[in-house]
Amino acid sequence: MSDTLLTTTGLAVSYGAVKAVRGSDLEVKEGEVVALLGPNGAGKSSTLRAIVGLIKYQGSVTFAGEDLTGAPTERIVSMGISMVPEGRRLFPQLTVRENLLLGAPRKAKIDALFDELLEKLPILRERLNQQAGTLSGGEQQQVALARALMSKPRLLLIDEPSLGLAPTIVDAVYQILADLRKTGLAMVIVEQEVMRVLKFADRAYAMTTGQIALQGRAEDLLASNEIKKVYLGGA
Amino acid sequence: MDALISYLVNVISLGGTYALLALGLAVVFSVLGLINFAHGELMTLTGYVLLAGILTGQQFWVAVLIAVLACGLAAVLMEFAAFRPVRNASGATLLMTSFAVSMLLQVLFQNGISARGQAIPVPPWLTTSISIGNSQISKVQVMSITIGILALIALKIFFDRSYWGWAIRAAADDFEVVGLMGIKASRLISFAFLLSGLLAGIAGVLWVVQRGSVDPLMGFKPVLAAFIVAVIGGLGSLTGAVAGGFILSAIEIALQTWLPAGVMPYRDAITYTVVVIILSFFPNGIFGKRDQEKV
Ligand SMILES: Nc1ncnc2c1ncn2[C@@H]1O[C@H](COP(=O)(O)OP(=O)(O)OP(=O)(O)O)[C@@H](O)[C@H]1O
Ligand SMILES: [Mg+2]
Repeated sequence: MSDTLLTTTGLAVSYGAVKAVRGSDLEVKEGEVVALLGPNGAGKSSTLRAIVGLIKYQGSVTFAGEDLTGAPTERIVSMGISMVPEGRRLFPQLTVRENLLLGAPRKAKIDALFDELLEKLPILRERLNQQAGTLSGGEQQQVALARALMSKPRLLLIDEPSLGLAPTIVDAVYQILADLRKTGLAMVIVEQEVMRVLKFADRAYAMTTGQIALQGRAEDLLASNEIKKVYLGGA
Repeated sequence: MDALISYLVNVISLGGTYALLALGLAVVFSVLGLINFAHGELMTLTGYVLLAGILTGQQFWVAVLIAVLACGLAAVLMEFAAFRPVRNASGATLLMTSFAVSMLLQVLFQNGISARGQAIPVPPWLTTSISIGNSQISKVQVMSITIGILALIALKIFFDRSYWGWAIRAAADDFEVVGLMGIKASRLISFAFLLSGLLAGIAGVLWVVQRGSVDPLMGFKPVLAAFIVAVIGGLGSLTGAVAGGFILSAIEIALQTWLPAGVMPYRDAITYTVVVIILSFFPNGIFGKRDQEKV
């Protein structure tokens, strides 16, 4: 298929004796929003971290027709994959502006992009010179998103965007994600709020103990009972 | 009044050198989580290169420039040869490596040059004094203060304004995520060692010109002081390294100036006691990170 953006084949991650991911095959198409679900410890974060080259893995990763297996993170980022890590992980001592500018390649011309992001996320404009560590959780999530967008990715991996946020703030975050989707940005969203993300995504994968237990169109999964079983440890 | 002026001059001149040294340690600590005890030998190396420059008839400032640049280069080579192979090893392994490098360099200096100290022939114009009020300040100290302050200002601008400056500060917070920004880890580490080496070089020049000689083991005392400075300020904190430098210098010079002769042998013991008291109020150093939730 020509419109496939990302594929992982037999992706496996172990931490010493712990097998966190046991051979998963994922696919993301151009502009597609894919949810990655599963209970705690299922291997969702490990999957994302392997794709961006933060941890060693077995299996292969292909992106935009190129084999990225084992590639260093800086190459993966420059190819167009960006990640918002679990817990956001801003640089707390740096200002919001510094956080954002670090997200862009060093010599990139970013003025237009920077303005565009501040247009979309007006809260950040008031906070540009504030230390990132002093922002509220919702603001931090916006900075984390904006920082990841500074490298102009074609695929954004987001690990738990709603983690620790009040429901109204989660609404706002998903509103931002909806705007991003309109620009044709493909996304993989790891999310504990299953119903919310299934309503948003095109397709979903559900993992249990390192394996993909279930996959399908998001609306089909939403309608069926299968997904509940995954969380109850059945499937 | 004159006593106060000369006290302040001494504090600023020594404090600036300590601050530069501690910043050099902090920069490497930011990217590797390592206190590089071989930092002191980089200073010693600077001293020998400076000496060689002067002895081969270079202009003083040319010799200084060459010595500082050589030190920066040596730091990059040190990382490449010694630390890169053990990059993913434990903190203890890295620390052992830094001790090994430190001792290896000491032995090389002893056997390759001389175990004895060598006098640094500073140019005559540097050995005169200027007077402020009734107090005499040596030109070496004027130079030391000027260079120290200029270097600190340049660093402040670098850390606040430049991409690599942000990257190093960010690395102190979260090295892994700096990688996610598309920055190549090994390049950032090389860069940190280059900067650290240049700082050791500047501090090394100030150190040997003040003491007037260079010897193979002279790096130990300043690197230990810089380590204490970094701990007082808060490991990994750049502001802390500067503040800590002036605090330690203020304590040391005060004791040296006003301690009765009979108690003088206990000077270092008293210094460390004061440091321990400071740390009991600020367990993570004055500008150290409060224990944050790890995600
Ligand atoms: N650095 C590590 N060292 C050892 N084991 C790890 C490490 N990181 C993750 N694991 C283990 O790997 C498994 C998968 O972890 P992972 O973080 O990928 O799960 P997750 O699906 O993201 O869970 P959560 O929903 O809690 O974030 C877990 O059993 C976890 O304990
Ligand atoms: Mg996770």
